[in-house]
Amino acid sequence: MNVSIQPALKSLRTAALIALFALIGICFGYFFNFLVTDNPQVSAPEQPIAFSHKIHAGDNEIPCQYCHTEARRSPSAGVPSVSKCMGCHTEVATESPLIRQVTEYWENKEPIPWIKVHDLPDFVHFTHKRHVQAGVACQTCHGPVETMDRIAVHSRNNDGPTLFASTTGQITNLEASNSGATQNDHWEMGLCLNCHKQHDVVDGKAVRVAEGGFDNGLDCWTCHK
Amino acid sequence: MSFLDRIAEGWRKNRKPGYYENFDYHWTMTIDLDQCSGCGACVTACQAENNLPIVGEKAFAKGREVKWLRMEHYWEGEYPDVKLNIIPMLCQHCDNAPCETVCPVSATYHNQDGLNTQIYNRCIGTRSCAVYCPYEVRYFNYNDHTWDSPLDQQLNPDVSVREKGVMEKCTFCIQRVRQAKDTAKDDGRRRVRDGEVQPACVQTCPSQAMAFGDRNDPESNVSQTLAGPRAYRVLDELNTKSSVVYLKKVETEA
Ligand code: SF4
Ligand code: SF4
Repeated sequence: MNVSIQPALKSLRTAALIALFALIGICFGYFFNFLVTDNPQVSAPEQPIAFSHKIHAGDNEIPCQYCHTEARRSPSAGVPSVSKCMGCHTEVATESPLIRQVTEYWENKEPIPWIKVHDLPDFVHFTHKRHVQAGVACQTCHGPVETMDRIAVHSRNNDGPTLFASTTGQITNLEASNSGATQNDHWEMGLCLNCHKQHDVVDGKAVRVAEGGFDNGLDCWTCHK
Repeated sequence: MSFLDRIAEGWRKNRKPGYYENFDYHWTMTIDLDQCSGCGACVTACQAENNLPIVGEKAFAKGREVKWLRMEHYWEGEYPDVKLNIIPMLCQHCDNAPCETVCPVSATYHNQDGLNTQIYNRCIGTRSCAVYCPYEVRYFNYNDHTWDSPLDQQLNPDVSVREKGVMEKCTFCIQRVRQAKDTAKDDGRRRVRDGEVQPACVQTCPSQAMAFGDRNDPESNVSQTLAGPRAYRVLDELNTKSSVVYLKKVETEA
């Protein structure tokens, strides 16, 4: 009988070819993924009224919770109502063109359509209340808001919590006016977990510890439910 | 402890069945079949509380209905001499849960409260857990579901709306458990009081056949019920150590 190794060689060649293509595909996929998703950006949508946190929280040192009153009482920090603005601005800077805009909303009995900048995915159930009551500073997650004219966050192109695509022009303006200050880090699960692993709750306050972590704070069901 | 030791330690601890030696709480539900009238209010309550989708006629015909809590009907005898036995069936939150061991991504695991979790954003939809669950209480989302207006207004904001390709099941209304813990912390208490957590089905039950509580606390309502002679677990012989305990119906010969 005539035994030939030719067919075996042939299928080996096919296998090698497939493997080669697969390898190329994987490499391409890896870099494509890197290109598309791992693309840090600064996002800062333009608000209906150019409200400046720098003037309010920075220069005039108004505490965050003067306006964001719900932060210590409820899961959501809340956006202040127009009446909160008018509480001061019936007296303060009434003639400034920006305040006139606020007054207009007030007189029309309409809410100001602020654009949400810090937005978590729907499967994350974060609670402000617990964190504020435990003495976690707002800036820990939100960055140096008191230095920002317009609120800015890091975001990624394709995922990440903030889904606002910002144009390059906006970013340049923003970086100039904010001296480059943005929120510290990407809002991803690692940000929460790192902090939770390093802290424990003692007498209702978050305290830094070497090992351990929040009691009950590392269960997935704490936030995802 | 070196990094490797820590991993080894974690591995040892987590491979143990029921791997928390002591649960902080051990949430347990008791269902008294003698009091249950089979009205199905609990089924509706669960549907409303947990954003369960209405799958539609076609999907229903394929057996793709999603009902975290369902009424099982068992008919006995021949007409006209028939008897209907009903039993509400939900996730039993087994301490030795077969579903947990098969999940390749740990989307379902046992948490420190003795609950069998289901993390939707981690789930990759292999459906192995549904195969392993002896109670058939896991449901898979074969489609993205929509809620027509104004029904979308009644979605519970504390519960995620699950999307296509994700497994789901009864959570013992974890959002309510968390809420009760939150309230306890606000009051400066360490622990939740007995009866403070009420899952939607328990709250709704008109004949109060269901009760929910912490089995670790010997004084709690459910602990007392568990000690009674009528308490039994479904498919106990499978050693699932479930956390839902049924109370046998008292048969009276007519
Ligand atoms: S009843 Fe089924 S889904 Fe629930 S814990 Fe047991 S095996 Fe898992
Ligand atoms: S405990 Fe909650 S999730 Fe479970 S069956 Fe009852 S209502 Fe549904």
